[in-house]
Amino acid sequence: MKRLPYCIILLSGFLLFLAACTEEQDFSQVDDLQVTPTLASGLFYFESDEATINSEGALSVFYSQEVNFDAFNEQYVAERLIEGVITYEIDNTTSKELRLIIEFLDDAGRPLDAEIFTIEANSPETVVRDVPYGPGGKPIDILANTSSLRVSAINLSDGTSVSSADDPKIILRSGAQFVFRLK
Amino acid sequence: MRMTFKIIWIALLGSASIFAQNKELLYDFNEIPQSLMVNPGVKTSQKWHVGIPVVSGLAFQGATSGVTVNDLFANDGIDFTTKVQERLLDVMGNKDDFSTTSQIEGITIGFRGKNRPDDYYSFGIYGETDIITYWPKDLAILAFEGNGGGNLGRSFDLGDLNLRGEMINVFHFGINRKVSNALTLGARAKLYSSVFQFQSIKNSGSFTTTAGQNNIYESTITADMQLQTAGVREIYDIIDEDTGTTQKDLTSVFTERVLLGGNLGFGLDFGFSYDLNPQTTITGSILDLGFINNSKDVWNYTFAGSTTTEGISVFLPDDIDDVNNDLWEELIDEIDTALPHGENQSSYISWRPVKVYGSIKYDFGQGGGAVLDNCGCAVNGGGGGRALDYYRNSLGGQLFMIKRPRGVQAALTGFYQRRFGRALSLKGTYTVDKYSLTNIGLGANFQLGPVNFYVLADNLLSYANLADSHYASLQFGFNIISWNGN
Repeated sequence: MKRLPYCIILLSGFLLFLAACTEEQDFSQVDDLQVTPTLASGLFYFESDEATINSEGALSVFYSQEVNFDAFNEQYVAERLIEGVITYEIDNTTSKELRLIIEFLDDAGRPLDAEIFTIEANSPETVVRDVPYGPGGKPIDILANTSSLRVSAINLSDGTSVSSADDPKIILRSGAQFVFRLK
Repeated sequence: MRMTFKIIWIALLGSASIFAQNKELLYDFNEIPQSLMVNPGVKTSQKWHVGIPVVSGLAFQGATSGVTVNDLFANDGIDFTTKVQERLLDVMGNKDDFSTTSQIEGITIGFRGKNRPDDYYSFGIYGETDIITYWPKDLAILAFEGNGGGNLGRSFDLGDLNLRGEMINVFHFGINRKVSNALTLGARAKLYSSVFQFQSIKNSGSFTTTAGQNNIYESTITADMQLQTAGVREIYDIIDEDTGTTQKDLTSVFTERVLLGGNLGFGLDFGFSYDLNPQTTITGSILDLGFINNSKDVWNYTFAGSTTTEGISVFLPDDIDDVNNDLWEELIDEIDTALPHGENQSSYISWRPVKVYGSIKYDFGQGGGAVLDNCGCAVNGGGGGRALDYYRNSLGGQLFMIKRPRGVQAALTGFYQRRFGRALSLKGTYTVDKYSLTNIGLGANFQLGPVNFYVLADNLLSYANLADSHYASLQFGFNIISWNGN
């Protein structure tokens, strides 16, 4: 009888441990996790002064270069690319009307797509173009299959005039923000 | 990939439901011989004690200062990605951590000196695993949200990666001496035999994407990061080879390392108990003042450097003759060169997580001197003399501090202890720390003849739903104790 309080306490202790429980957990929810970061990066920057344009003469292609560009067609990236936007910004302070062509080429060098910009001479404002890819935009496959870019710059004007602007140039900037599904 | 994610999640969050470094219930619970391990200067009264091998002291502790398992995995119908965003990414900071500690006593033996009855010697072996991972906030946000959108201009701190873990076997020997009726001092020497150790605790650097000087965006990364490992590579290689002898090879490596065949270290514990008056006692201890010299099976991984990129750039007329079409590859190579990642085998010292305890205790409710009359040791037992009075109740407070990679963590505990003769003693605690403000613990020590059994459990309120607990701790063990010549 003397030990009864001890037994009660002991029993209570065991009951406490027995009472320990946990609500139902569903660890399979991990499968539903979606990791879709938006990655931003500069892509291609092109700059030319007016003297270089003039040196090639009137109505001429003053720059044409094909550059390897595997940013999107690496298998890991291509499989996870969902959507995105490539932004182009162009400033032309030269005295010439210019045309910039950016072609997206596949492994065999075939054009998949092209962005063409015709910029007036002494363009007063920065030309900005957002090109969406994915749902509502151009097919994402264009980027996934792009292996190289061909950038061409064409002078649509004479080859002698000089802009009165300080340090006249044609500048092409480009950057991308793309959504990837990592999981 | 799915399996990998599952393993990471379960390892990260599952650890939250296991055991912690703070042993506030065991501390100064001098009826339990294992209290010597948290204060070598605790008052001892027994003639000798022997822990029942492997089950004399088992302690498991897990803690998370942020999200709980239940927060993420409760079957509540809420989209899992939303839960991760709102309960993990939006809430947790880089000082939040997931930690787990476990200890298993292999052998513990204590005995009173024959010629010096004021001295109580104890020695033994225990294994300890301790892992802490701070929430890598900025890296997690970078992985989930990316550097675009609203994160343009944000500097992601690479120093948020901070983790440390180790598994060791400890051989120890301690002396506890009753210096006077009021003062007991103790010290313990420890020889650490490391099974493995890893740490990545001194990382710095940042990753930022902003409007470029030339192009639309420029990305800058500056990094000085290092992961140090000792004893990990060999284990990894054995598992990776996945031969028919994997189990045997692992057992062989493990056995060798726990028996002083791995990296070795040395540490000291000190402690005291001092009676301010017959009913008031202060105690203190400092544990694991030590280090491990990691020189065997060391593999360190480094990532350091700095670079800024705006993408492929062409400037005319400078590049007019550059007809190379591998500009993209050159860009990648430039980045790789600027941010070299390497390996080295330089030995390193890893410091043990130093722990400090302090307490003040007031005894009341005199119960006579009967409880330890059979001590036979005439030391701290009952039977007569000022220091030997037996009180049924103790009330007091304890402070615990531990050195962690991101600074000192502290915990404050209030406790009440009630003794029911020699057979039963109960201790209740309320602890406040970074993990919980509602941590109520209960410990019980049962003495059935020479057989001693104790069980100590923390954060009892969380037992209604362990998965929702920020902190869980359980310790228990069996000993044989003698207070006389038996």
